[in-house]
Amino acid sequence: MNDKIAENLPRTPASLDRTLVALADPTRRAILQRLSKGEARVTELAQPFAISLNSVSKHIRMLESARLVRRRRVWREHLLSINPKPLDEAATWIEVQRAVWAARLDALDEMLQAEDRAASIAPKRKGRSR
Amino acid sequence: MNTEQGATVRVTRRFTATAERVFDAWLDSGKAGKWLFSTASGQMVRVEIDARVGGSFTFVDRREGQDIEHVGEYLEIDRPRRLVFEFAVPKFSPQRTRVTIDISPLAAGCELVLTHEGVQPDYASRTEGGWGRILDSLAVTLA
Repeated sequence: MNDKIAENLPRTPASLDRTLVALADPTRRAILQRLSKGEARVTELAQPFAISLNSVSKHIRMLESARLVRRRRVWREHLLSINPKPLDEAATWIEVQRAVWAARLDALDEMLQAEDRAASIAPKRKGRSR
Repeated sequence: MNTEQGATVRVTRRFTATAERVFDAWLDSGKAGKWLFSTASGQMVRVEIDARVGGSFTFVDRREGQDIEHVGEYLEIDRPRRLVFEFAVPKFSPQRTRVTIDISPLAAGCELVLTHEGVQPDYASRTEGGWGRILDSLAVTLA
């Protein structure tokens, strides 16, 4: 395989793992949705959810440890914002997985078409080719 | 299987062949070995398929002297519309992932929707199976 491409691959599966686990939860996805519109305070983020501020904070900490969310402090306020980089990495990885299956299905189609060609060239010699 | 961890990958593709022919290509060992879990640079040395619900399958692809095994089990077989199976590549990870194939007949040919759940980041398999495979297929397309 091409080493140049290998170099550009996300190197650490552990960080991808964290991203995917973080994204697996609907509350955390909703928090990211909100942050994709701009910076917010923890209390603002907690507002739409029917869960305690404490449990929202837990979700936020998990998003922070997955580096999907950044925190900056202005005086006594904690402002949270989204970090899209791990998302891009996850999207790239998912795209690769899709490409693997797309290539297999291409190979399947190719095989079926080869069967058709073989059948039209020698229709009487044998039954259906396997 | 834990689908909570990992991603869901979905691919849709149309075929000119009938739904029955496309479906059968997954379960006929002579056919499946030519395209499923195979690589252009590898050699498919063994394919065993027990095409029953609860039946298992093994694909062994020899890649640069290394035997890469794909092993799994069929969970649903509803010819020609639906096939569900789980598989793992023990060499890279014991984790099983689930694949669902839905095939709809069209006026001519059929449409296949593949859903792969619980896909885990796995650098080894991504390098050996994934990228190698993609580069192979690019080479074919560009040739």
